[in-house]
Amino acid sequence: MEKLSFVGKSITRVDAEEKVTGSAIYGYDLVLPDMLYGKVLFSTRPHAIIKRIDTEKARRLPGVHAVVTGKDAPWTHGETIKDMPFLAQGKVRFVGEPVAAVAAVDEDTAQAAVALIEVEYEDCPAYFSPEEACNPGAVLIHEDYDSYRKSDIIVPGPLPNILEHFKLRTGNVEAGFRESDLVLEQRYVVPAIGHAALEPHSAHAQVDPESGKVTVWVANDAPFRVLHETAEALGLPKEKIRFINPYQGGGFGSKGAMKVETIAIALAYQTNGRPVRVKFNRAETFVSTITRHEAIVYIKSGVKRDGTLVARQVRIYWGAGAYAEKSPTVCIKGSHPSPGPYRIPHVQVDGYAVYTNKPLAGAFRGYGVPQTAWACEQHMDELAQRLGMDALDFRLKNVFVDGDLSYWGERLQSVGLKETLLKATEAIGWGKKTGQSNPPKGIRIGKGFACIAKPTRTPTTSTAAVKIDSRGDVMILAGTVEIGQGCTTILSQIAAEELQVPIDKVRMHSLDTDLIPFDASTTSSRSTYHMGNAVKRAAVKARDQITEMAASLFDTSKENLELSNGKVRVKDRREPALSFGEVICQKLGSDGVVAGDGAYTFEMGKDVDPQTGHSEHASAFYMYATQAAEVAVDEETGRVRLIRMVAAHDVGKAINPLNCVAQIEGGLAMGIGAALHEELVIDDHGRVKNPSFLDYHLVTSLDLPKMETIIVECPDPNGPYGAKGLGEPGLAPTPAAIGNAVANALGTRIYELPLSPERVYWAIQTSKKNPSPSVSAEPVVSNPTSFR
Amino acid sequence: MKRPEPFEIFQPASIQEARELHIHHGPGGYFLAGGTDLAIAIKEKGLVPRYVVDLKRIGSLSGIRENADGSLVLGALATMREVEISRVISRRFPFLSQSAGEVGSIQIRNRATIGGNIANATPSADVVPALLVLEAQVTTSTQNGEKQVPLESFFLGPGKTVMERGDILTEIIIPPASANLRGEYIKFSPREMMDLAYVGVAVALLTDGDENVCREVRIALGAVSPVPMRARKAEAVLVNRVINEESAERAGEAAASECTPISDVRASAAYRRHMVRVNTKRAILNAVCGRPGNLPWVARRERRY
Repeated sequence: MEKLSFVGKSITRVDAEEKVTGSAIYGYDLVLPDMLYGKVLFSTRPHAIIKRIDTEKARRLPGVHAVVTGKDAPWTHGETIKDMPFLAQGKVRFVGEPVAAVAAVDEDTAQAAVALIEVEYEDCPAYFSPEEACNPGAVLIHEDYDSYRKSDIIVPGPLPNILEHFKLRTGNVEAGFRESDLVLEQRYVVPAIGHAALEPHSAHAQVDPESGKVTVWVANDAPFRVLHETAEALGLPKEKIRFINPYQGGGFGSKGAMKVETIAIALAYQTNGRPVRVKFNRAETFVSTITRHEAIVYIKSGVKRDGTLVARQVRIYWGAGAYAEKSPTVCIKGSHPSPGPYRIPHVQVDGYAVYTNKPLAGAFRGYGVPQTAWACEQHMDELAQRLGMDALDFRLKNVFVDGDLSYWGERLQSVGLKETLLKATEAIGWGKKTGQSNPPKGIRIGKGFACIAKPTRTPTTSTAAVKIDSRGDVMILAGTVEIGQGCTTILSQIAAEELQVPIDKVRMHSLDTDLIPFDASTTSSRSTYHMGNAVKRAAVKARDQITEMAASLFDTSKENLELSNGKVRVKDRREPALSFGEVICQKLGSDGVVAGDGAYTFEMGKDVDPQTGHSEHASAFYMYATQAAEVAVDEETGRVRLIRMVAAHDVGKAINPLNCVAQIEGGLAMGIGAALHEELVIDDHGRVKNPSFLDYHLVTSLDLPKMETIIVECPDPNGPYGAKGLGEPGLAPTPAAIGNAVANALGTRIYELPLSPERVYWAIQTSKKNPSPSVSAEPVVSNPTSFR
Repeated sequence: MKRPEPFEIFQPASIQEARELHIHHGPGGYFLAGGTDLAIAIKEKGLVPRYVVDLKRIGSLSGIRENADGSLVLGALATMREVEISRVISRRFPFLSQSAGEVGSIQIRNRATIGGNIANATPSADVVPALLVLEAQVTTSTQNGEKQVPLESFFLGPGKTVMERGDILTEIIIPPASANLRGEYIKFSPREMMDLAYVGVAVALLTDGDENVCREVRIALGAVSPVPMRARKAEAVLVNRVINEESAERAGEAAASECTPISDVRASAAYRRHMVRVNTKRAILNAVCGRPGNLPWVARRERRY
């Protein structure tokens, strides 16, 4: 490969200054002329029929412009199952469901009006556990499930309240277990957690009374998809809808699809053209947007005495909450890789997404992989322990390597997993007594690691345009949302590389669906790869036009030209170089513009079949990672303190190494929070008990250990410069790595997250009373074949 | 967050004036010190004051001073940060500095006042156990003149104190103490900072000779009873006994038996009781070992293990 000038360099983020100085405008900051303020009445019941809503008093309050209920917004939406009304229709299904909304001259008036709305409910039985909700005979949370509009991928389940059943079938697991020397089954539990993005949710909407055009200003991570969903819901042609995207103050998956948008739109239809702002506060964001799926994971594995994996059966109950949202695809994408990145001849996976009467669950950085990794990677350690094998040797014997045929039928290439395993374990000193060899009394030191493979949604499309004006300034038009991940910088580096212009000559246009070419979404770690390719192609096309014009000016052929620093010159000629601007001015005049377009789709990609779980190209690329932890556990208090964490990630090619480190460290912080503290606690009445940062504990800077990041570059043949993705995997193996380290320290294993001091304390107490190798609320260990 | 209803705000220059304003304007008034509790109550918890009397212009309420007899007077408006970094406090009672340093973040500590924290009567207040083991007194300005009450009898319940409407807490007095007094405060919470205490334990003690025979000891607990409390049973276990692992453990058990924690979203009562046991033991042993000055955060973390 040629020497790269911008790619592979840790260029300072191009949006750093405006963000550090506070001049950047986020969705929450937006102020529109003449806007009204919306407030929402939320359900106080987990599952109830709405007998009556009286909005009269609210309507009569001075300053109120509109009051809406489900009747005024007769629309439903959903990614793959259209089950969610804009505002509750006839029934509420969780505490925190929007029931009615008010638009008024200011927030306080709107809030006062909300308090005047009367609702009468008749309670129905409610379910707060996905396993209970799908018991035979359970009351249906969605009576009309069968008649909902659904996409083709939906496979209804065999039991009540299952909204999607994902199946993967390879070989014959029963035969596999019979062939095995050891069979182990365990149950793992991951609670719902919150995304806790710095910026809470908000949306602004306006409906033009003349044209009927709906305009929404929202920091959504997939403006084109939400546009499509809105068009479908409202029954409008797409050109009647426009999404404008300000900066997003973090999302982690919580800001895709329709959240506050529905309420803003429902109100905007009633305000005679005045825009409406609806902002959620922190508590509303915790409860009434989305959460990460709680998951109950059963894994049963059969292994040979020499450590060869023979069979694995996985059963997962994904707690979807009250509406489907993205649960079907989380169920598919999260269940599919749940047996882990290993060669296993016999595999069976059953993933069930189950309705409950809890807040909705949806996309969350990692899309199901963090939950199943918590189960699978602890399970791998326990298998190794029972086999009397080293946990690293056991994995090395079974992990995917280049050329393997995966259990879903894909021939794998560019697999950097083994290298991440070796580098992460070496850095943590796996098998060595390093660091605190003489811990204080009562402190137990342990090490552990975990590895993952994370696919990306496939196939998806990105399109882009690159424009050069007569000043030589480059503008990228691309639909990737700057959610804080640094896409503006990465895409600018790619354009600068192809055009050989200084990075400060490159800008990226803000996002507006009326103007910017299509992009599928800023999700699934897909942007650097897909949009990177699209921008690269667009830049090449623009460059070709410049060189073509320059060739005629220089009276030579394109091949003799070289580009550098925004200028073009003839190789080995003394003639002065021409800047791009000069080329354009001379050929097209001072108003001339050159533009190139580019698109990228991983065309052979095919979603896994939800009936078999198979696909020959399930993902455009896979992200491989291993993380390792060294922990100190206080035996007397149960407090887990991290001494060190190592994260080795195969990124294909680091376009911006510092940005990669930042992604990984950010992921680690999030994963550490999920491992040690985070849990949305929901009581017997379906109420979230800790919807604030007082009791929902994110980690602080002081809770973070020394973090070592290792970038592994196993290039992808189709990625731009070999790049893969990196947005999601930073947190995926973290809890399992910490869980394995805690088990290593204590000699006892904990199967449920988070590893809060209290949970660890009680596990230590139980193990003291009952010194078995494992502790579990519901141990399901079986050794059907004797293990000699 | 709600925009507050309009209310009047007064900025008196003296305690007398502040009290008169309060009497004159009647019910619905609140005194404002750092505002770290009051502002949240107004913006997020629906408190609607009719008027607010801002005490910050009253110079006599500020500052920390050491009297000739060795007693310390902390003005009610002394900020948590001032208590944390005060040279005299960190020299004489480093565990009190540390307890103030455990509150919130530096930004919060720059505003929050020690008087406000005490008057607010939160069971988990960090400085209160440290002040209880120093047998601090609280001075209040009341209708009937100045009153002094031991801090221990100041609290009546969560959010409730002996102060009546219109009373102003003016200062906290730490009586003279032996130069050999040693102490410790442990805040037990899952996070390293920006957290409420699940359990707070303060210990102050005097020992004889090299044997570590305990001559005098005071132990106080936070967050495990309706009001911060002295653990007198635990104290009784130690008096006139050699302080070692074993006696400290027994004192911890006594403390665990006499507290009355609740179960909530943060922790169960049973776990809190165990943490009282463990952290009381640790606080006693840490106090005996002494503590090297005002430790920085990271070193403080190490001390917990």
